Amino acid sequence: MTQNDATAPATLEVKGLRAAVGDREILRGIDLTVQQGQIHALMGPNGSGKSTLSNVIMGRPGYRILEGSVTFNGEDITLLPPDQRAKRGLFLAMQYPTEVPGVSVVNFLRTAYQAIKGEQISALAFRKHMKTQMDRLGIEDAMVQRYVNQGFSGGEKKRNEVLQLAVLEPTLAILDETDSGLDIDSLKLVAESVNELAGPELGVLIITHYQRMLNYITPGFVHVMMLGKIVKSGGPELAHELEDKGYEGVRRELGIEAHEEVDEGPDEGVA
Amino acid sequence: MTSLWFDEAAFELLPKATEPLQRMRKQAFEEFRALPIPSQETEEWRYTDLSDFELSFEAHLPSVMRTTSGQDLDGLGVVFSDLDRAAGSDAELVERYLHTLVPTDRTKFTALHGAFRTGGTFLYIPRDVRVELPLQTLTYLDADGAAAFPHTLLIADEGAEVTFIDRFASPDLARALSDAIVEIVVGDGAHVRYVSIQEWGAGVTHLGIQRARVGRDAEFRSLAIGFGASLARAEAETVLAGAGGFSEMLGVFFADGTQHFDHRSVQDHVAPNCSSDLLYKGALRDASRAVYSGWVHVRPGAQKTDAMQTSRNIVLSEHAKADAIPNLEIEANDVRCGHAASVGPVDEETVFYLESRGIPRAEAERLIVTGFFQEVLDRVRLDEVRHNAELAIQEELAELSTAGVA
Ligand SMILES: Nc1ncnc2c1ncn2[C@@H]1O[C@H](COP(=O)(O)OP(=O)(O)OP(=O)(O)O)[C@@H](O)[C@H]1O
Ligand SMILES: [Mg+2]
Repeated sequence: MTQNDATAPATLEVKGLRAAVGDREILRGIDLTVQQGQIHALMGPNGSGKSTLSNVIMGRPGYRILEGSVTFNGEDITLLPPDQRAKRGLFLAMQYPTEVPGVSVVNFLRTAYQAIKGEQISALAFRKHMKTQMDRLGIEDAMVQRYVNQGFSGGEKKRNEVLQLAVLEPTLAILDETDSGLDIDSLKLVAESVNELAGPELGVLIITHYQRMLNYITPGFVHVMMLGKIVKSGGPELAHELEDKGYEGVRRELGIEAHEEVDEGPDEGVA
Repeated sequence: MTSLWFDEAAFELLPKATEPLQRMRKQAFEEFRALPIPSQETEEWRYTDLSDFELSFEAHLPSVMRTTSGQDLDGLGVVFSDLDRAAGSDAELVERYLHTLVPTDRTKFTALHGAFRTGGTFLYIPRDVRVELPLQTLTYLDADGAAAFPHTLLIADEGAEVTFIDRFASPDLARALSDAIVEIVVGDGAHVRYVSIQEWGAGVTHLGIQRARVGRDAEFRSLAIGFGASLARAEAETVLAGAGGFSEMLGVFFADGTQHFDHRSVQDHVAPNCSSDLLYKGALRDASRAVYSGWVHVRPGAQKTDAMQTSRNIVLSEHAKADAIPNLEIEANDVRCGHAASVGPVDEETVFYLESRGIPRAEAERLIVTGFFQEVLDRVRLDEVRHNAELAIQEELAELSTAGVA
């Protein structure tokens, strides 16, 4: 069974993970361990496989695991449906959140909350629980009455992801470029929120292109991903090093050739 | 012994109606005997095969409950009553309008209806009278082997305003027939909202025709919710007969098991400067089958017509099948007409998004379908009506989240 006794921190462990989309291998041997209470940053050029890693961890369909394992609290989760992974305490704030037409944020979140906690909660009690988190994120009542992500601005979508994170109380969260598309004020709100949440109860893996998010949240661990591999890991200083030298510096240092990386165009809505 | 075959003996057993209605009935009975069961060879009946359908039922008067939301209708001069009763008390109106929009000789089934109908609902709103709250009729059937002939005759005089909810329900039955007709006259400048909620139980064959005639500068808004019956064939037609008229036809249906739905719509633009908008949304699961076919017909002279027709379908199981067949027939040159149709599975991206938040797949599908329908209900401005419809949908979809779990 799982090693989830009360004292052991929740642990996500990725070992020797290789994964493909169709015939194309995208993850080429990933090793990464994130524990409840820790903050990790994962950086890497466009197309290096960061979102793919998050998707495989969360169980998005369309990816084939070729080798390796993903365990959460010692349990192999690769065959679990995504909702079971969420129920065990995993959360993924998506790079491109999906619209759910006709379903209000509050209805959606309450359904999710009840599914994860395995208990019913009255609309009133839930609203209270949510309200605290909304205030923290500067989210207005009107927004949670709207349909999930429909017509949301880029920044609203990201804040909505963090609201979900806050309300659903996972033990381990992956934030896939939650800082992209946020203006300076929103970035501050989101970062401070995440910072507050990231205590002993929560482990976070922050996927980002920028130091600016890390100015608010100091990661204990920084990893650099290239061509589907984590090529370098270090402490918070590594993020600064990247900011100075760029990925080219890492490539030179490690003798990696820049090839095959598909630039998917400019990052959406960089503030 | 009563006969189950709609023969002379059964006809003679019917309670007598007023003289003019009795004549209409007799004629309908002759038509019923002369007409064949509609054949799949015809365009209208292509998608529903009734060739083996046994017309052996006992004509039956379902129980009917009318609710007025506590309004003083008499004071307003509104008549809301049993149709046969109105044939006595408001003979002139009934005789003038009954079976004018849906003539008895339209098909064998309308003739059968004309011959064997008893009861039904008559609603008349006098000129410039506004009925604030919705009126409702619940038609409830619980007799096996019964044939019910629900009829709604709604007449909104010039400038009148009303919202009417027609609800049909039954438990699951071994076999029953609902042969229904709705005739709606929307007078010049009148505003009518008509909502039908069809929740017949399994075993019921529902054949319904709804036809509205919209006068000058009048507004007709319909919402059809279809969940029930084993086989439901529902035709909804709006004739835009006076310049400046508007028609909105909304539809929501959900099919499961081996249900067969055949939905047909007609937006018939006769007068110029009218607009019509149709949006039907359906979801199917199990081995159910649904066909939507719609016509936009713009008659010569109906210039400046603005007509739109949209059919969207979500198919939740690989054994279910939906088709959407739009048709435009345009005989005027200065018009704006469009149609859109889609049939497809539930969006996997959306399912994953919900699942990643801990919502199991079946529940995710329920939520997605609820949202899909919500977009239709959002067009209904009257809170009571929308709420009614939302409840009906919630109830219908409740099992979706449990039944789907292996
Ligand atoms: N479902 C998919 N179908 C086809 N290709 C995919 C799919 N998912 C990922 N890829 C490809 O895998 C590679 C890695 O993509 P991924 O989205 O993981 O990169 P990323 O590191 O998150 O990049 P970015 O910084 O731009 O978000 C890209 O070349 C991408 O096109
Ligand atoms: Mg990415």
